[in-house]
Amino acid sequence: MSAHPRTIALAAFLALAGIAAFAAAGRGGDKPAQPHPQAFDWLRPASVPGSWSARRLPGSPARLPVPPGWRSARSDPGTRTVISRGPSGEIAGYLNATPRQGEESLASWDSFRVDHNRDEGDRDVDLLAAASGLRFGTGRGSCVLDSYRTETDARYRELACIVAGRAATTVIVAAAPPRQWRAEAPTLRRAIAAFTT
Amino acid sequence: MTHLKRLAASLAVVALIGGGASSLAFAHHRHHHHHHAMSSIPQHNGGDHDADNNGGPSDGDGNI
Repeated sequence: MSAHPRTIALAAFLALAGIAAFAAAGRGGDKPAQPHPQAFDWLRPASVPGSWSARRLPGSPARLPVPPGWRSARSDPGTRTVISRGPSGEIAGYLNATPRQGEESLASWDSFRVDHNRDEGDRDVDLLAAASGLRFGTGRGSCVLDSYRTETDARYRELACIVAGRAATTVIVAAAPPRQWRAEAPTLRRAIAAFTT
Repeated sequence: MTHLKRLAASLAVVALIGGGASSLAFAHHRHHHHHHAMSSIPQHNGGDHDADNNGGPSDGDGNI
Protein backbone atom coordinates (compact mmCIF):
# COMPACT_ATOMS: atom_id res chain seq x y z
CA MET A 1 0.00 0.00 0.00
CA SER A 2 1.44 3.38 -1.03
CA ALA A 3 1.13 6.74 0.69
CA HIS A 4 -1.40 9.05 -0.92
CA PRO A 5 0.29 11.93 -2.78
CA ARG A 6 -1.88 14.46 -0.91
CA THR A 7 -0.73 12.99 2.40
CA ILE A 8 2.88 13.46 1.38
CA ALA A 9 2.20 17.00 0.20
CA LEU A 10 0.48 17.88 3.50
CA ALA A 11 3.33 16.39 5.53
CA ALA A 12 5.86 18.32 3.46
CA PHE A 13 3.93 21.56 3.96
CA LEU A 14 3.74 21.02 7.72
CA ALA A 15 7.45 20.23 7.85
CA LEU A 16 8.38 23.40 5.97
CA ALA A 17 6.06 25.51 8.13
CA GLY A 18 7.57 24.04 11.29
CA ILE A 19 11.13 24.62 10.09
CA ALA A 20 10.31 28.20 9.12
CA ALA A 21 8.72 28.92 12.49
CA PHE A 22 11.67 27.39 14.31
CA ALA A 23 14.14 29.45 12.30
CA ALA A 24 12.17 32.64 12.95
CA ALA A 25 12.11 31.97 16.71
CA GLY A 26 15.81 31.13 16.71
CA ARG A 27 16.81 34.48 15.23
CA GLY A 28 14.37 36.41 17.42
CA GLY A 29 11.91 36.83 14.61
CA ASP A 30 9.10 37.66 17.03
CA LYS A 31 10.94 40.66 18.52
CA PRO A 32 10.03 43.89 16.76
CA ALA A 33 12.73 46.32 15.66
CA GLN A 34 13.56 49.14 18.03
CA PRO A 35 11.67 52.34 17.19
CA HIS A 36 13.58 55.48 16.22
CA PRO A 37 17.06 54.57 17.52
CA GLN A 38 18.34 57.79 15.93
CA ALA A 39 16.58 59.64 18.75
CA PHE A 40 19.71 58.91 20.80
CA ASP A 41 22.20 60.35 18.35
CA TRP A 42 22.86 63.13 20.87
CA LEU A 43 24.38 60.65 23.32
CA ARG A 44 28.15 61.03 23.51
CA PRO A 45 30.15 60.19 26.66
CA ALA A 46 31.00 63.39 28.47
CA SER A 47 32.47 64.45 31.78
CA VAL A 48 30.38 66.00 34.54
CA PRO A 49 30.21 69.73 33.82
CA GLY A 50 32.31 71.90 36.12
CA SER A 51 29.35 73.59 37.76
CA TRP A 52 27.69 70.27 38.55
CA SER A 53 28.35 67.77 41.33
CA ALA A 54 27.95 63.99 41.44
CA ARG A 55 26.49 61.66 44.03
CA ARG A 56 27.95 58.21 44.44
CA LEU A 57 25.62 55.27 44.98
CA PRO A 58 26.26 53.35 48.21
CA GLY A 59 28.51 50.37 47.65
CA SER A 60 28.73 51.05 43.94
CA PRO A 61 31.09 52.84 41.59
CA ALA A 62 28.10 54.50 39.92
CA ARG A 63 27.89 58.28 40.17
CA LEU A 64 24.75 60.27 39.46
CA PRO A 65 25.53 63.69 37.95
CA VAL A 66 23.70 66.47 39.79
CA PRO A 67 22.88 69.72 37.99
CA PRO A 68 23.27 72.96 39.94
CA GLY A 69 20.28 73.80 42.10
CA TRP A 70 18.87 70.27 42.09
CA ARG A 71 18.13 68.73 45.49
CA SER A 72 18.32 65.20 46.83
CA ALA A 73 14.99 63.45 47.24
CA ARG A 74 14.03 60.41 49.23
CA SER A 75 14.56 57.24 47.26
CA ASP A 76 14.94 53.53 47.69
CA PRO A 77 17.89 52.20 49.69
CA GLY A 78 21.03 51.96 47.61
CA THR A 79 19.79 54.49 45.06
CA ARG A 80 20.17 58.22 44.48
CA THR A 81 17.50 60.67 43.33
CA VAL A 82 17.74 64.40 42.71
CA ILE A 83 14.91 66.69 41.72
CA SER A 84 14.33 70.20 40.47
CA ARG A 85 11.06 71.84 41.37
CA GLY A 86 8.93 74.44 39.68
CA PRO A 87 7.52 77.61 41.26
CA SER A 88 4.58 75.73 42.78
CA GLY A 89 6.73 72.94 44.13
CA GLU A 90 5.85 70.52 41.37
CA ILE A 91 8.54 68.22 39.98
CA ALA A 92 10.11 69.91 36.96
CA GLY A 93 13.03 67.52 36.52
CA TYR A 94 13.96 64.14 37.97
CA LEU A 95 17.13 62.06 37.98
CA ASN A 96 17.50 58.66 39.59
CA ALA A 97 20.22 56.01 39.57
CA THR A 98 19.48 52.50 40.77
CA PRO A 99 21.66 49.39 40.74
CA ARG A 100 20.37 46.56 38.58
CA GLN A 101 18.00 44.58 40.80
CA GLY A 102 16.05 42.02 38.81
CA GLU A 103 15.93 40.63 35.31
CA GLU A 104 16.53 43.92 33.55
CA SER A 105 19.15 43.56 30.85
CA LEU A 106 20.61 45.51 27.98
CA ALA A 107 19.15 43.08 25.46
CA SER A 108 15.55 43.35 26.63
CA TRP A 109 15.59 46.85 28.09
CA ASP A 110 13.02 48.40 25.74
CA SER A 111 10.31 45.87 26.51
CA PHE A 112 11.36 45.49 30.14
CA ARG A 113 11.08 49.18 30.96
CA VAL A 114 7.65 49.75 29.47
CA ASP A 115 6.34 46.49 30.94
CA HIS A 116 7.77 47.48 34.30
CA ASN A 117 6.14 50.90 34.22
CA ARG A 118 2.81 49.26 33.44
CA ASP A 119 3.37 46.76 36.25
CA GLU A 120 3.88 49.67 38.63
CA GLY A 121 0.49 51.10 37.73
CA ASP A 122 1.45 53.65 35.12
CA ARG A 123 -1.05 54.10 32.31
CA ASP A 124 -0.83 55.20 28.70
CA VAL A 125 2.75 53.95 28.62
CA ASP A 126 4.06 54.81 25.17
CA LEU A 127 7.46 53.71 23.90
CA LEU A 128 8.65 56.56 21.69
CA ALA A 129 12.21 55.46 20.90
CA ALA A 130 14.75 52.82 21.88
CA ALA A 131 18.35 52.00 21.10
CA SER A 132 21.00 49.57 22.27
CA GLY A 133 24.77 49.35 22.01
CA LEU A 134 25.07 52.98 23.10
CA ARG A 135 28.42 54.20 24.36
CA PHE A 136 28.81 55.60 27.86
CA GLY A 137 31.92 56.77 29.66
CA THR A 138 32.47 53.46 31.44
CA GLY A 139 30.58 50.96 29.33
CA ARG A 140 27.72 50.24 26.99
CA GLY A 141 24.03 50.76 27.48
CA SER A 142 20.51 50.54 26.16
CA CYS A 143 18.05 53.42 26.40
CA VAL A 144 14.37 54.14 25.92
CA LEU A 145 12.38 57.32 25.53
CA ASP A 146 8.84 56.85 26.71
CA SER A 147 5.91 58.65 28.24
CA TYR A 148 3.33 57.58 30.78
CA ARG A 149 0.70 58.75 33.22
CA THR A 150 0.95 57.80 36.89
CA GLU A 151 -1.89 56.57 39.04
CA THR A 152 -2.25 60.13 40.33
CA ASP A 153 -2.64 61.40 36.74
CA ALA A 154 0.75 63.07 36.62
CA ARG A 155 2.27 62.80 33.15
CA TYR A 156 5.95 62.28 32.56
CA ARG A 157 8.30 61.72 29.70
CA GLU A 158 11.45 59.81 30.56
CA LEU A 159 14.81 58.78 29.26
CA ALA A 160 15.72 55.52 30.96
CA CYS A 161 18.99 53.74 30.33
CA ILE A 162 20.63 50.61 31.66
CA VAL A 163 24.40 50.86 31.57
CA ALA A 164 26.83 47.98 32.01
CA GLY A 165 30.10 49.29 33.39
CA ARG A 166 33.26 47.47 34.30
CA ALA A 167 32.13 46.76 37.87
CA ALA A 168 28.39 47.44 37.98
CA THR A 169 25.25 47.56 35.90
CA THR A 170 23.07 50.51 36.81
CA VAL A 171 19.88 52.14 35.60
CA ILE A 172 19.61 55.90 35.20
CA VAL A 173 16.24 57.57 34.76
CA ALA A 174 15.78 61.17 33.66
CA ALA A 175 12.22 62.45 33.61
CA ALA A 176 10.18 65.61 33.33
CA PRO A 177 6.54 66.52 32.72
CA PRO A 178 5.81 66.80 28.98
CA ARG A 179 5.17 70.54 29.27
CA GLN A 180 8.63 70.94 30.83
CA TRP A 181 10.41 68.59 28.46
CA ARG A 182 11.71 71.13 26.01
CA ALA A 183 13.28 73.15 28.81
CA GLU A 184 14.61 70.21 30.82
CA ALA A 185 15.74 67.84 28.07
CA PRO A 186 19.19 69.42 27.57
CA THR A 187 19.96 69.04 31.28
CA LEU A 188 18.58 65.51 31.42
CA ARG A 189 20.57 64.47 28.37
CA ARG A 190 23.71 66.01 29.78
CA ALA A 191 23.24 64.04 33.02
CA ILE A 192 22.88 60.79 31.10
CA ALA A 193 25.89 61.53 28.91
CA ALA A 194 28.01 62.12 32.04
CA PHE A 195 26.71 59.10 33.94
CA THR A 196 29.30 56.52 34.96
CA THR A 197 28.96 53.10 36.57
CA MET B 1 6.42 2.48 -2.10
CA THR B 2 6.99 1.92 1.61
CA HIS B 3 9.72 4.53 1.52
CA LEU B 4 7.15 7.16 0.63
CA LYS B 5 5.17 6.36 3.76
CA ARG B 6 8.33 6.60 5.80
CA LEU B 7 9.12 9.95 4.19
CA ALA B 8 5.67 11.27 5.01
CA ALA B 9 5.96 10.12 8.62
CA SER B 10 9.41 11.67 8.97
CA LEU B 11 8.24 15.00 7.60
CA ALA B 12 5.32 15.01 10.01
CA VAL B 13 7.66 14.39 12.94
CA VAL B 14 9.91 17.26 11.82
CA ALA B 15 6.85 19.52 11.63
CA LEU B 16 5.78 18.62 15.14
CA ILE B 17 9.27 19.13 16.58
CA GLY B 18 9.74 22.43 14.75
CA GLY B 19 6.37 23.80 15.72
CA GLY B 20 6.77 22.69 19.31
CA ALA B 21 10.18 24.28 19.67
CA SER B 22 8.85 27.46 18.13
CA SER B 23 5.96 27.51 20.59
CA LEU B 24 8.35 27.02 23.49
CA ALA B 25 10.57 29.85 22.27
CA PHE B 26 7.57 32.12 21.85
CA ALA B 27 6.26 31.26 25.31
CA HIS B 28 9.69 32.04 26.78
CA HIS B 29 9.72 35.44 25.09
CA ARG B 30 6.23 36.27 26.25
CA HIS B 31 7.18 35.63 29.84
CA HIS B 32 10.50 37.42 29.90
CA HIS B 33 8.99 40.40 31.70
CA HIS B 34 7.73 38.43 34.66
CA HIS B 35 10.21 39.80 37.09
CA HIS B 36 11.76 37.52 39.63
CA ALA B 37 12.58 40.19 42.12
CA MET B 38 15.61 39.90 44.32
CA SER B 39 13.87 42.22 46.76
CA SER B 40 10.57 44.04 46.53
CA ILE B 41 9.78 47.61 47.46
CA PRO B 42 6.11 48.12 48.29
CA GLN B 43 4.43 50.74 46.11
CA HIS B 44 1.48 53.09 46.57
CA ASN B 45 3.13 54.78 49.55
CA GLY B 46 3.46 51.46 51.27
CA GLY B 47 7.22 51.33 51.24
CA ASP B 48 9.78 54.01 51.66
CA HIS B 49 7.53 56.93 50.70
CA ASP B 50 9.76 57.98 47.82
CA ALA B 51 8.46 59.91 44.82
CA ASP B 52 8.01 56.68 42.88
CA ASN B 53 5.47 55.50 45.43
CA ASN B 54 3.57 58.77 45.52
CA GLY B 55 2.70 59.41 41.92
CA GLY B 56 6.11 60.82 41.03
CA PRO B 57 8.27 59.63 38.15
CA SER B 58 9.09 55.93 38.04
CA ASP B 59 12.53 55.20 39.45
CA GLY B 60 14.97 52.69 38.03
CA ASP B 61 14.15 49.76 40.25
CA GLY B 62 13.74 46.42 38.57
CA ASN B 63 11.10 45.22 40.95
CA ILE B 64 7.46 46.12 41.34
